Amino acid sequence: MKLVDKFTLCFLLIFFIVTPISIYSTHYSIKQRIDNVEIERLSAVNNEVALQLKSGISPDKYSQGRPISISTFAGNLPNEKILTEKQNYDQGECRITVSSFYNIKGLNYKVSSYNYVTQSGQILRGMLPVALVKSLLMIVAVLIAARMLSRNILSPFNQSLAQMQKFNLRKKKPLVLAESNTKEFKELNLLLKKMTDMAITEYGLVKEFSENASHELQTPLSVLRSKLELLADTNIQGDQAILIGEMQHAIEKMARINYSLLLLTKLENQEYEATENISFAGHIKSILGFYEDRIQMKALTLTTHIGDDISLKIHPALADLLFDNLLGNAIRHNVKNGIINIKANHEAFVIENTGAAPVIPTEELFERFKKSDQCGESIGLGLAIVKQICELNKFNVRYTYRDGIHSLRIDFNGMAVADSAALVAQA
Amino acid sequence: MKILIVEDNRALASSVHEYLSRENYVCEQAFNLHEAKEKLLFFAYDCIILDIMLPDGSGLDLLNFIKEKHISGSILIVSAKGAMDDKIRGLEEGADDYITKPFHLPELNARLRAIHRRKDLDGSHLVVFNEISLNTNTFEVTISNKHLDVTRKEVELLLYFLVNRNRLLSRQAIATHLWGDYTDNLSNVDFVYQHVKNIRKKINQAKGNDYIDTVYGLGYKFNTHKYETGR
Repeated sequence: MKLVDKFTLCFLLIFFIVTPISIYSTHYSIKQRIDNVEIERLSAVNNEVALQLKSGISPDKYSQGRPISISTFAGNLPNEKILTEKQNYDQGECRITVSSFYNIKGLNYKVSSYNYVTQSGQILRGMLPVALVKSLLMIVAVLIAARMLSRNILSPFNQSLAQMQKFNLRKKKPLVLAESNTKEFKELNLLLKKMTDMAITEYGLVKEFSENASHELQTPLSVLRSKLELLADTNIQGDQAILIGEMQHAIEKMARINYSLLLLTKLENQEYEATENISFAGHIKSILGFYEDRIQMKALTLTTHIGDDISLKIHPALADLLFDNLLGNAIRHNVKNGIINIKANHEAFVIENTGAAPVIPTEELFERFKKSDQCGESIGLGLAIVKQICELNKFNVRYTYRDGIHSLRIDFNGMAVADSAALVAQA
Repeated sequence: MKILIVEDNRALASSVHEYLSRENYVCEQAFNLHEAKEKLLFFAYDCIILDIMLPDGSGLDLLNFIKEKHISGSILIVSAKGAMDDKIRGLEEGADDYITKPFHLPELNARLRAIHRRKDLDGSHLVVFNEISLNTNTFEVTISNKHLDVTRKEVELLLYFLVNRNRLLSRQAIATHLWGDYTDNLSNVDFVYQHVKNIRKKINQAKGNDYIDTVYGLGYKFNTHKYETGR
């Protein structure tokens, strides 16, 4: 629920609670006023009649238009000199009878007069339509005003929100927020700014650390590898050779992981910015040449359909890396006498290969160190690198497996242009 | 061949020194920029192995120094940074080749030899051992003057063996040599086996001697003493 709706609802709730109370109190106050005025007038009439009785004039049946009744009674005068009675009648009227007690010339008189006033229900009925109109006006006014005000008052908040949504830690661009003169928003912006600035700094430090760590590891790895190479070249026994061989294998794996992590860090740090368009098909061809011997040795059947040359804006090293990883995977995870299909046009690049079914969902293979355990030799960073490169260049990458065929599709999302001038020979 | 190793890590420098000394190179070491400059001013070297990251400055500065002082000698850059710009800048500043850490010692040796062959103007492009002759320009191999039908990768493999004679070459070192640093060499060792098998078969068919030994658990060795009389 929107903030403005919440405020409006609260306001309306208060309005609906307060309105009946105010109607009731207004009504009560008006009724009270009317009755009191009439009671005062009737007592005045009674007094008038009493005066007439005192002076010996026999009073009329009516005085000032109000019917009078006069009676004498025995006993003492009551303490209350004035008595009021109210009687409701069907016609929406109420009869107020005021009786006054006097002692005139030794006789006790009771003088009563009455009049009809508007019944309280009638007053209420008169007030309700007005109250209804007032309520409607109020609701409409609140609804409109709340929206207009909220747009105005909340605009710095909404701007901050939009800025936060655009904020990307990886881009390392500090957050710029709109000025506000609202105290709460000022505080919020200050806090957001402080938090994002700190996040950027910390992120930078972490990145720097992982990059430095990877760099610093290269030299000890070199030392380790070279010493083992020298050791292996000495006069060693068969079982020692196996030990050294296993160590070399482990170092190789370590070097590979370190290299890949360093590469991922560099990709995250946007160190490979695309500056010009490259011929993607040209890169495919050169890498294919590089893998020719391995494709032959595994007796794989390679078919390529590269419709036209693809002019793609991507860093050339990344284009090589991308295709190298994909083709390397397609060969490594293939079966002997298997198939590799490569299709490319300016819309998408698809590489398909035969191979064993993946043991984990294909989408998870894009995560770091996730691998289908059939091939224990891979380190599980190849597809993470592929994904990172695709994200960096705003490509979509999808991996599916169906009927024994692994299919990896990269959609260029309009980042590529068909370049028919440079037709690539189909293999 | 006289070589200057500029590397601040003494353990690594000594590894390089040991490996190259056994190849009959004359090696000297410098552990920082200052030492390297001093040595370069007083002595002449055929090749300089230069680490980019040194405690008192960048190896790229030394490249400028070498250019300014007109010091001769080939330069092989070694860097822990796999960064593209370092490579490009290094090569632009006059370096002859580039190798990234962690490298294989036989690879370093092969690179040095390649630079030396390229620089050596009147030098032959033929690498010869007994009946085997390999032309590094045309990538042709002959066995007892008979042409051998080999693929490009097989030539590269044979050359790697020939420049690292009697040295143990691990399968990983061979994989890196054949397919480079970028590719996942862990899964390429099977292909190394096949390449080695093929080249041995081809040399055998051409009546050449099979000098390549399999060292169980480790890799291969081009054994020059295998067919010596009296062994």
